[in-house]
Amino acid sequence: MLRGNKELWLAALTMIVITGVYGSVVMLTRSIPPAREVFGHSLGIVGFVLMLMTETLYSLRKRSRSVRWGRMSFWLQFHIFTGLVGPYMVLLHTSWKFNGIAGATTLLTVIIVFSGFVGRYIFTRIPRSLDGLEVEGTLSQEALKQARRLLALWHAVHIPIGIALFISAFVHIGAALYYATFLK
Amino acid sequence: MRNKRLGCLSGSGIITAIVTILVIAGYVYARGGLLYNPGPLNAQRGEALGGVTSHAETGGNCEACHTAPWERATMADRCMDCHSGIAAQMQDTASLHGKALRNSPDLACRSCHPEHRGADAPLTEMDEASFPHEALGFSLQAHQLTSVNQPFACSDCHRQDIYTFAADACKNCHNEIESAFTVAHSAEYGDACLGCHDGVDRFDKNFSHPAGFALTEGHANLPCAQCHTGARTFVDFQNAPSTCYACHAEPAYHAGQFGTECEACHDTTAWSPAKFNEQHTFPLDHGDGASCATCHPSTFSNYTCYGCHEHNEVEIRSKHLEEGVSDFQNCMECHATGQKDKDGGDDDDDH
Repeated sequence: MLRGNKELWLAALTMIVITGVYGSVVMLTRSIPPAREVFGHSLGIVGFVLMLMTETLYSLRKRSRSVRWGRMSFWLQFHIFTGLVGPYMVLLHTSWKFNGIAGATTLLTVIIVFSGFVGRYIFTRIPRSLDGLEVEGTLSQEALKQARRLLALWHAVHIPIGIALFISAFVHIGAALYYATFLK
Repeated sequence: MRNKRLGCLSGSGIITAIVTILVIAGYVYARGGLLYNPGPLNAQRGEALGGVTSHAETGGNCEACHTAPWERATMADRCMDCHSGIAAQMQDTASLHGKALRNSPDLACRSCHPEHRGADAPLTEMDEASFPHEALGFSLQAHQLTSVNQPFACSDCHRQDIYTFAADACKNCHNEIESAFTVAHSAEYGDACLGCHDGVDRFDKNFSHPAGFALTEGHANLPCAQCHTGARTFVDFQNAPSTCYACHAEPAYHAGQFGTECEACHDTTAWSPAKFNEQHTFPLDHGDGASCATCHPSTFSNYTCYGCHEHNEVEIRSKHLEEGVSDFQNCMECHATGQKDKDGGDDDDDH
């Protein structure tokens, strides 16, 4: 089980470490780290960079034809790891306030993580090689066809949620930069 | 099977992007800056400036305080558009805002006055060390650490709010440090400490009394109120009498003979012994080590020669009458130099 889901275990371990650090900060300062201060802000920035990597690197690798760095199975594991740890850090960055566009971004983040979980189990129903290519002959044609249809449907939901999420996140970041970081 | 097109460029991706942007734009149009969840503006009402009595009354109108990136104006300019009184203060280095800016020219209004912290949140938040407290009439120079060696917190002296000084704050602390002195001092001068104390001058045991009236010797350990009677303000203290005779009555035996330049004969060690070097009509070296009172036992306008050597009245009377000198009480007439003969000789026969 550990071998088959090592990215999940690694993500869980990382999240436990982050929780420990977050808990220590809460204990030391006796307050929830505000999103605008060093610790809360760092959580948001690092979490968002992980989420951005989750999306862009995996998508680019999946579609790149000339350069093929790493196996697709590795990139899927990377996508799942950063897709869990990044959103978790972003969740801690919220300081548990969910108003305005920042709240909407958090909601979309939670939705896409769930969507990712669903997708992962649909994806793994189709037997693949380590390079992500389908392995023929292990499923009946009917079952394979159904699984492909399900995966296509899932893609049609997962990707638009991601697009809405990133647009919303960029508006939030732009506003934060304008209304806080670069106030003149 | 390999996708050749990025997901975001698919039909559903593009439609989602457009819908998301429209939703955000619609929200901005309807609710203004509230989209960004900036936190509530301060709602404490003050005087009406710029058409509002609190920041909260500006609603979601971000432009009231935030300038656009392409504008030259800064947020501070927006503040001063309404707070013109503060803008004037900033030019005056004697005022709080002028002094703060002179000490730290890079300060922006928001460096000390944060917003969006809640309707009742304080509008002033400043590092105590850099706050030019002296511009408010009391320097914190001598108030860095409390009586228990902890850094001062604003609330130690401003319990109700930052603008209100707790009148008993001085007394409470100083009672702990120097109880007897504080009780006596408070009884002498009252509790309006700030009338005299500005936080820089320390009127304590290390206090250096103005050089014009050094507190030496006999003056060193007097209670302040002995000279500064009823003083309540710094000016009252400056108006304390500085002449000797304002406090010290001239003794009767001076008989009004010595004027008011007491320091010519006396210093602050003690009234006695006094030195007298000016026109004494009789040689001061007469009678080695004799005090003034030897010759002037009652007043300095009279003298007596009796009491020394063989000079007792009975003997002098008898000797002088024998010689036919009846005015024998007027010794100086014949013995101006203190010698037996008129000219300073020591010949008994000259009588």
